[in-house]
Amino acid sequence: MLSINIKNQSDAQANFVDNQLSRQVQSAVDEVGKALLGKDHQIRLALCCLFSGGHLLIEDLPGMGKTTLSYALAKALGLGYNRIQFTSDLLPADILGISIFDQNSGQFSFHPGPIFNQLVLADEINRTTPKTQSALLEAMEERQVTIEGETRQLPEPFFVIATQNPSTLAGTYPLPESQLDRFLMRLRLGYPDQRAERELLEMNTERDKLEGVEQCLSVEDVTELRKQSSKVKASSALLDYVQRLINFTRGKDEFHFGISPRGSLAIMRAAKTWALMCGRNHVVPEDVQAILPAVVEHRLRATTDDDGHTGASLVQRLLNEVDVVD
Amino acid sequence: MKPGYQIPRTALIWILLSVILVVLPQRTHIQLWILLIAFLCVAWRALIYSGKLNYPGRLVRILVVLFTVGVTISQTRNIGLGLESAAGLLTLGFVFKLIEMRQKRDVYVVISLCFVMTMLAFLYSQSILTTLYIILAIMVITGAMIAVNRSSLISDNFGTGRLAVKIILQALPLTVALFVVFPRIAPLWAVPIQSAVSTTGVSDEMSPGDISQLGRSSALAFRVQFENILPPLHQDLYWRGLVLDDFDGETWRRTRASSAYSNALALADFQSERDDRVLTSGNPLNYNVILEPTQQPWVYGLHLAESQTGGLFQSRNFELFNDDLITQRFSYDLRSFANNQTDLVLTDRIRNRNTRIPDAGNPRSREFARELRATVNTDRDFAYTVLAHFQQNEYFYTLSPALLGSNKVDDFLFTTLEGFCEHYASSFAFLMRSVGIPARVVVGYQGAEYNRFENYLMVYQYNAHAWTEIWLEGEGWVRFDPTAAVSPERVELGVEQALRDDPAFLEDALLSAMRRENFSWLNSVRLRLDALEYAWNRRVVNYDQDVQLEFFQRLLGEVTEQKGLILLAAVASIVILAIGFTIIRIEPRSKQEPLIKFYLKLCKELGKIQLQRAPGEGPIAYRNRVCAARPELRESMDALTELYIKLSYGENSPGEQQLKAELKNFNRLLNRLKLSLSPLARLNQRG
Repeated sequence: MLSINIKNQSDAQANFVDNQLSRQVQSAVDEVGKALLGKDHQIRLALCCLFSGGHLLIEDLPGMGKTTLSYALAKALGLGYNRIQFTSDLLPADILGISIFDQNSGQFSFHPGPIFNQLVLADEINRTTPKTQSALLEAMEERQVTIEGETRQLPEPFFVIATQNPSTLAGTYPLPESQLDRFLMRLRLGYPDQRAERELLEMNTERDKLEGVEQCLSVEDVTELRKQSSKVKASSALLDYVQRLINFTRGKDEFHFGISPRGSLAIMRAAKTWALMCGRNHVVPEDVQAILPAVVEHRLRATTDDDGHTGASLVQRLLNEVDVVD
Repeated sequence: MKPGYQIPRTALIWILLSVILVVLPQRTHIQLWILLIAFLCVAWRALIYSGKLNYPGRLVRILVVLFTVGVTISQTRNIGLGLESAAGLLTLGFVFKLIEMRQKRDVYVVISLCFVMTMLAFLYSQSILTTLYIILAIMVITGAMIAVNRSSLISDNFGTGRLAVKIILQALPLTVALFVVFPRIAPLWAVPIQSAVSTTGVSDEMSPGDISQLGRSSALAFRVQFENILPPLHQDLYWRGLVLDDFDGETWRRTRASSAYSNALALADFQSERDDRVLTSGNPLNYNVILEPTQQPWVYGLHLAESQTGGLFQSRNFELFNDDLITQRFSYDLRSFANNQTDLVLTDRIRNRNTRIPDAGNPRSREFARELRATVNTDRDFAYTVLAHFQQNEYFYTLSPALLGSNKVDDFLFTTLEGFCEHYASSFAFLMRSVGIPARVVVGYQGAEYNRFENYLMVYQYNAHAWTEIWLEGEGWVRFDPTAAVSPERVELGVEQALRDDPAFLEDALLSAMRRENFSWLNSVRLRLDALEYAWNRRVVNYDQDVQLEFFQRLLGEVTEQKGLILLAAVASIVILAIGFTIIRIEPRSKQEPLIKFYLKLCKELGKIQLQRAPGEGPIAYRNRVCAARPELRESMDALTELYIKLSYGENSPGEQQLKAELKNFNRLLNRLKLSLSPLARLNQRG
């Protein structure tokens, strides 16, 4: 089951076309990789998510490098960022900002909250109450916030990288499906492999590595990548394959619900960006397979699911059972 | 035992439900304790699932087998080898299989047995209700099959049920077609059905009180349909059953010899003799009777009915007998004539038999008859005088008459003055015999209820009746019904009207009160339901070889063997075509693009060297795998894959001309690859 997925990762990179853009991307991956050892594929996926203009959810156990990854991404892309540590007593105003009465001027003046940044790191998002979660999630979807009747635009580009602990851990408020859907991808980092672990142990502390991460892409580069990715060609044969994938999830008893149109658009968006990151101007099935787990795992759920983590095995079924060529 | 397979919970529910459904119809035919064991086993299986009980151990299983063998032997001893004991054995084996069901194979055995059990239910009853019930049971069993084969993750019982209903509904047209055309083959063997079931209907003995017992029953006796004409008037509907001509002072009996022919010669004698004994005139009445099972050999018809159905024969007294006991619903066609006379000449032997009365007993009646006979001139007048006597005196027609003493006729005629038809018939015949007029009692049914929905008559057990026939010089046997003198409504309007105020009439029957209260809509529903049942019996249950032949004769003209074979072949091919079409529709091979066809060809070629492409494998992944396994193919694989990706997923979709050229190119590359895979090439490489 899992072997194919892992193989797909290398296959997708094997079809790598060397050009300026792919080199640029590779350097960004290498730069972030300085902070997070041995996780190139995950870093690539995270970059793909951001280049597609989507928000990213990183889910794993505490101490796996979620926060490190988000910091490193922010630094490598040179985005203005702010971090919000979500706790159970965090209020919406703590994120969005608040109007405070100014004694001197005798007027209310608005103090923008941490959300007014290009990159927002929402740490441990599922540790806060649904009310606060939804304040963030609304901003994610609309890219604007409405505070005290006044609508304020968020900066452009605007990314949210949220991290969360698995909902099985104590003190979590699981995100509902509707809010999970807002994230383009959900990543899981997993344990580092032997070599990376060793390297990690030989270094001093984890935070030191962040110092070494240099900015290698500018905001303009990111915007350019986003613009280009929409021009990547998806042939009718490829669209057929994506449709087969989507149809496979719909109307089956094993699937609690199928992939929504928003989900299928997300697949296409991420696949195109992935193809672009590999230096190609056309999407091949391997691109779709590379991003599929990250894009749809959190959107799928088996009929007998208690904790929202049956998506992974369902995606494996998609990858293994849906015929690429038909 | 290996654990491994676990029957899904929903499947188990479906299976247990099917078991209950197929065992239930047995309840009237097997002993209650077998039924009890069946439900215990169902409960046991359910408890095994919930972990409260274990599977039966080896010892228990051996004991169960011994028990079953013991039960079979004792059943065979007690009620004989036959359907009932076989059904008991099958049911026991079936439910015991249930508790040791743990592998998928066992599940299939149980499900197959469920189907066998449904067939068993049809041996007892083929009514429309049974059929609907069995269809329901088959749906549930199908549901069990579906549930067993579904993943245990799904607990969607509603979906399973819906699928089962869909499957059964799809099978229905085929079932109907096969029912109509499938050749009816006579059974190679027949299971004797035990007569442990009590007999119903009129019996061949009549003592006071017998028929009034029947009068309390609202069970159906038989249904009659007249061909092309309206049925005769109610007062002419005397359904003749048996002729009782032997009287011992209390009970009337049949003389056995009057029906049994000692040999074929005697039967032939009777038939040649019959034409001399019978005079008929008027229009023939053709009608069909469907008799409910009686466990008796005799059947009913209007007077002097000729049988149009094989297996029926007439006795010397023109009673109708079947070869065997009527254990199933039985349909037969009869022809009668409105006017007929029988036995204008009476032999001495018959005359003696029909005037014999006990030497002693009932002195007052004898005296009364003698005195009355002296006042009139002819036997006919005497009979009418006696009828007048019944009419003019305070005789009552009732279902619950007072008890009679030892001189039954005397007591009835002069003391109690109340009785049911058997009292009147019996005493009337006695009075006739005591002055030497040949007289006999006839038992059967009188009257019927007309069902306008299907234009037929329904005769119930409470229509049971007894009347008399006396022999008059120059007229032969003439029917006299003394009950008609006492209660004319009984004969003209029916027993319901005659006994409407008698609390004993139909006191057990549920519908009767309403029937009497004239709930017209309810009555209409009742008649409609019966009409439905009747139509079912006539058109479906009755559909035997003859009816089938007739049906096809009407459809095709003369039915030859050739035509039959062609028809059968046609139906079979339609069925096969339908199945084939379904399979094609399930697995549609859409028109593939030539490029995909070529690529799949490549995959197939590589499949020959155990490098088949997995469905979820993209072209690049596949190329990498093939190249890793067979490095010598790298060059052609690279070229082929690159070409395929360019054409299929490339930035610029190829034009028609370009595609054609590239496809040729692809084919060439493919052929080269094939060549390098051929055994010859491999030999060369080694060489």
